[in-house]
Amino acid sequence: MKRLGFGVLALLLVALPPLLPERHLATFVLLTLAAAVTVGVSLLMGYAGQVSLGQASFYAIGAYTAGLLAVHGTPPLLGLLAAPVIAAVAAVLLGAPLLRLRGHHLAFATLAVQLILLSLLAQADWAGGAIGLQGIPRFSVGGFELRNDLGYAYLSCGVLAIALLVARNVVASRAGRGLRAAATSEVAAAASGVAVGGYRLAVFALSAAFAGLAGGVYAFYLGYLAPGSFPVLLSIEYVVMAVVGGLGTIAGPVVGATVIVLLVQVLNTLGTQPGMPDYAPTVLNYAVYALLLVVCVLFLPKGLVPALDRVRRGSLDKARSIR
Amino acid sequence: MTNGAELTVTGVDRAFGGVYAVRDVTLSVAPGELRAVIGPNGAGKSTLFALIGGQLAPQAGEVRLDGARIDRLSAHRRARLGISVVFQAARIFHGMTALENVMVGAHATNGAGFLAGALRLPVHHREERLIRERALECLARAGIADWADRPAEELPLGQQRALQLARALCAQPRLLLLDEPASGLRAGERERLATLIGELRAEGLTMLLVEHDVAFVMRLADRVTVLDLGGVIAEGTAAEVRADPRVIAAYLGAAPEETGPEAAAAAATATATATETQTATGGERDAGTAARAAEDQGQQNAGVREDSASARKGAEP
Ligand SMILES: Nc1ncnc2c1ncn2[C@@H]1O[C@H](COP(=O)(O)OP(=O)(O)OP(=O)(O)O)[C@@H](O)[C@H]1O
Ligand SMILES: [Mg+2]
Repeated sequence: MKRLGFGVLALLLVALPPLLPERHLATFVLLTLAAAVTVGVSLLMGYAGQVSLGQASFYAIGAYTAGLLAVHGTPPLLGLLAAPVIAAVAAVLLGAPLLRLRGHHLAFATLAVQLILLSLLAQADWAGGAIGLQGIPRFSVGGFELRNDLGYAYLSCGVLAIALLVARNVVASRAGRGLRAAATSEVAAAASGVAVGGYRLAVFALSAAFAGLAGGVYAFYLGYLAPGSFPVLLSIEYVVMAVVGGLGTIAGPVVGATVIVLLVQVLNTLGTQPGMPDYAPTVLNYAVYALLLVVCVLFLPKGLVPALDRVRRGSLDKARSIR
Repeated sequence: MTNGAELTVTGVDRAFGGVYAVRDVTLSVAPGELRAVIGPNGAGKSTLFALIGGQLAPQAGEVRLDGARIDRLSAHRRARLGISVVFQAARIFHGMTALENVMVGAHATNGAGFLAGALRLPVHHREERLIRERALECLARAGIADWADRPAEELPLGQQRALQLARALCAQPRLLLLDEPASGLRAGERERLATLIGELRAEGLTMLLVEHDVAFVMRLADRVTVLDLGGVIAEGTAAEVRADPRVIAAYLGAAPEETGPEAAAAAATATATATETQTATGGERDAGTAARAAEDQGQQNAGVREDSASARKGAEP
């Protein structure tokens, strides 16, 4: 059943891009990258019991790492590989002192880090300042250059696939077992030799690495980066995507990202209708995120994917009892 | 063959809100020894275990394992050094099968890290197979092999306790701390547990055993340490401890000088009879009765405890 789900998803990711009209391809790329970031957020929230309200800062760190390296002549592939590494290192530096503390320290700290990062970036002339970093070359490996959106659609699909695969492996491995154990009894997990704090830090670093890798692709795709591309709203969007899709599930982030991106598209169309004030799209976005979170917490506390699973199992049971 | 570790506890203190739960406890357990720790409710037995296992840090004193200090190490490091714990309350992991619960125990032995799992390196697969096999063996040893694939929280209480023991064994410990492993078990399950503890002892594992069922303890242990009000009041063989007037007094909740010789003798006989009835008949019903009697005695003591606790509070530095 699990394998089937993966197969369908893989098929969809491979078959869909060429069928999409050019103007929807951009949405597809951004959706896929957002899903890859959300895989990390979902892992962090579902398995380490921590929330990051600044995940977009790791997306930004990855993007700027890849962008700056490429602008200074480093081969794009190296830049793309450096993006997750630098993001993960940043997460370790931030998380090591914070994950020891319980509760919402990480949430607040990541939010603060994002605000600080945004203001630093706006003042950093070497990174383009508030105007932004321009002239990032297109992604290329050897002599082969990715020029059109279709290429980037596949590149971001690759990133999403890697994130999903690694997340699944972690969950099903010894470390994932330790994390799941710590969720019911931290004391008994530690007494069994599980380095709970270390594992949580590793999950945080991994989630940052996913965000960094996605950010790297984003840099090459747009060719231009500005602090304004990484608002706090984006971080909140990832959290909403993770919660709506279902924490601790593999398909959740993909489902959550798709639902939210499509919804945002509709809202943007609505918000940019003639006669609407120019702050309408932002206000609508915030309102919908808030609404979705409330609805989810009230009616689908485990998110869409587990809820759908239940419905499906329920109908199976019914079918059986009828027979 | 396990090579059991040597445990040395020297002058450890631990207080909660100014009240000592463990005060100046010194204790030395030889490799391969099975040491019983008994004492009335609230005597500090579980707290002492937590200081050894690393759930709590001592406020004074030292804990050494094979001569090396461990009292500043975190619990998971101590687990890696070979200390395994069976907690007084069944602490099992929900949302995981019994087998997975036991596999978590293998974390304490050297193992593939986070990256190996994430990237599915060959070492990950090799280890998973070994851990699974070992976990199945431990489940079988604890007598709950049939429950392997059931969610742990669905197991009956007795099986949950056995699950904790299986998890502890999966860590291949050199020092095993058993905090009331027989409580809540039915007579047959108790016998099975006693047999398993006997086997582990024969294999050379060092063990500390807390148990209110005095007969159960006296039958198994090499030596007995008696705690009361956080301190050691007696130590020796089962026979020595049973004859110690301070032990009798502690179990009756009165100071030795206030107790008449008749009362002390009666208490000694009560404990001794409980033990002997059990060894003589081997009858499970009798053993159960003795256990309940011992437990009742403990409960009675809990009443006296309140006053002693405030007395201890006054003694705070
Ligand atoms: N976390 C804690 N906070 C406050 N007081 C505690 C804590 N843990 C133990 N105590 C107190 O320390 C004393 C010793 O408790 P402990 O659990 O070690 O006793 P015990 O000998 O294991 O008793 P029992 O036979 O009932 O399990 C008790 O008075 C208890 O109330
Ligand atoms: Mg206790």
